[in-house]
Amino acid sequence: MKFLERQLEDPVRVARIKRWFYIGLAVVAVAEIGLPLIVHGDHHFSFEGWPAFGSLYGLASCVAIIVVSKLLGKVWLMRREDYYDS
Amino acid sequence: MTLELVSLEWMHPGLLLILGAWVLPLLKGRAKSAAMVLLPAAALAICVRLSLAPDTYGVSLLGHKLPFVFRVDKLSLIFSYVFSIMAVLGMIYSLHVKDDAQHVSALTYAGGALGVTFAGDFLSLYVFWELMAMSSVLLIWLRRDPAAVAAGFRYLLVHVFGGLVLLAGIVLHCSAKGSFEFESLGAFPAEDDWSVILPWCLILAAVMLNAAVPPLGAWLPDAYPEATVTGAVFMTAFTTKSAVYVLIRGFAVPGGTELIVWLGAAMAIYGVVFAVLENDARRLLAYHIISQVGYMVCAVGIGSDLAVNGASAHAFAHILYKALLFMGAGAVLQVTGLRKLNEMGGLYKTMPITLGLYMIGAFAISAVPLFSGFVSKSMIVAAAGEDKRQWIFLMLTLASAGTFLHTGLKLPYYMFFGKDSGARGHEPPRNMLVAMGLAAAACVLIGVFPGVLYDQLPRAVDYHPYSVGHVTASLGMLGFTALGFFLLLKQLDPEPKISLDTDWFYRKGSSAVVSVIRGPLVRLESGWVGEIYELVIRWPVLGVARLLRRLDTGIVDYAVMSVGRLTQAFSRILKTTVSGNVQHYGLLMAAGVLVLLALATIAL
Repeated sequence: MKFLERQLEDPVRVARIKRWFYIGLAVVAVAEIGLPLIVHGDHHFSFEGWPAFGSLYGLASCVAIIVVSKLLGKVWLMRREDYYDS
Repeated sequence: MTLELVSLEWMHPGLLLILGAWVLPLLKGRAKSAAMVLLPAAALAICVRLSLAPDTYGVSLLGHKLPFVFRVDKLSLIFSYVFSIMAVLGMIYSLHVKDDAQHVSALTYAGGALGVTFAGDFLSLYVFWELMAMSSVLLIWLRRDPAAVAAGFRYLLVHVFGGLVLLAGIVLHCSAKGSFEFESLGAFPAEDDWSVILPWCLILAAVMLNAAVPPLGAWLPDAYPEATVTGAVFMTAFTTKSAVYVLIRGFAVPGGTELIVWLGAAMAIYGVVFAVLENDARRLLAYHIISQVGYMVCAVGIGSDLAVNGASAHAFAHILYKALLFMGAGAVLQVTGLRKLNEMGGLYKTMPITLGLYMIGAFAISAVPLFSGFVSKSMIVAAAGEDKRQWIFLMLTLASAGTFLHTGLKLPYYMFFGKDSGARGHEPPRNMLVAMGLAAAACVLIGVFPGVLYDQLPRAVDYHPYSVGHVTASLGMLGFTALGFFLLLKQLDPEPKISLDTDWFYRKGSSAVVSVIRGPLVRLESGWVGEIYELVIRWPVLGVARLLRRLDTGIVDYAVMSVGRLTQAFSRILKTTVSGNVQHYGLLMAAGVLVLLALATIAL
């Protein structure tokens, strides 16, 4: 079970994993743009047909969730851990 | 048709668990382990057998007809299957626990959920509903920790309140309708009649409280992380999903109910937002229960056939992958004692199997193709699309990205990878791994062969999740969410903080209210109340006492003392006659005899 350790503790292999991750992302984005041109899917909304809508919306959602939640937490929601004990 | 409760051919699967649980403390060793698994397995077998004759049955006890209805249809069956499967998995996960109280509570809890599922009347629904609340609170208390005891009381407080609201709704509804039958309550009543509107609102509010719909849902992330390692696994499954079942049965109507749609969608995002801020591993997962149940609530609101199927399918898939995720986090808690993400890290070296099984659950909840969430969640999103609700569609998709972000990336990253915290665990006991393995297998099975699940759905709908467009869009969304995660990784470092939620109102707000009203209250007490007390109680009482004392000294004492004085005077006279001379005594006796003789003569 040392497989994961070998992969993650060697900077060269980590760099290789990163490279594959980016290649994968590119392939997915290209597929999302290209495949609907060949196989016509049925969309419920027109925006689903925009090029790489899923990928872009995923990235935007992720950033929006992190930024908005952290902001809410900082200005309002987050308290010290012993908040309810005192 | 009537089913006899005490019979050899049949047994209510819920009662089987509730009554059978009490056999466990009498058994030991292998026999006990076998009974723990066989009881829920038998319940599952009964449910499967019931599917052969779906009907609405009356219930009798020793020949006497009871006012209960036992309903078997596709909707109750699919929920009963997943509840019994969950009970089997949960019991396997807790085989190593040497605490009979936990096993009895867990089985009772599961039995209550099965009871709710088959209840065709409001009476038995209410009884099983309350039984679930009472048995589940034990799973929190049995961690035997001050924090758990306090959290258990808050949990009980909320659920007792919810139970009362439900009871009020049921009483009003049934008295208006004249029957206890539990059928669809329909859309929001069109007529302007409070005797119809009020019970509709009360029952909806009580069920939404159990489904943890905000602002009534803060009890869930408050209580679940405080439960025992194994108890929390049971809790993730039954309370919220039996509420979803009642919502589908009672409130899913073809035209849809706008309020429920928007509450559900908001709930899906609310859970995700709080998960960003959360540092406690099991509390983060608890917020994602809220998020996922939001999809189901939203689907109930949409109410179309596809939506109802989506809600049922998602409840089924959700119970299995959520249990798996809680099992994973529970395993880490059990072997390391750690629950906060900022204290974990680097555990992948010592717990690789746990990591692998957890990740299957994480992929399932994130709706990665070939895992169960993909085939169930997409039904609900498609139902929103079919209904031309673009904002709901976008909100649900956004929440989906958030789910992958936390459950699939943040939690495993900080728990198993990330900065090595120096914490060293080992794999959990074998029975825990077996339960996780079975749950993981179910997640993959449903994802690869969605037909297995789709065949059991309550409505007839033709739906195919694996279209080219859907798969590529999902992969794109997931991939780029991961990109966003790694780009903003620094922002996501867990902080040792807690977040305010609506439980503030009964944890902190109540004491604030008390301190605000304490000033006027003290003034009222020492001023008005004190004066009135003085006037009404103290004065009359003292007056009467004074009178009584005077009566006592004046009459009673005087009488007693007078008698005493009289006796004293008489004895002083008597003393003079005692001279010691015999002749005096003789004289007195003679005088006495003469007096007697004189008296006798007078009398004659």
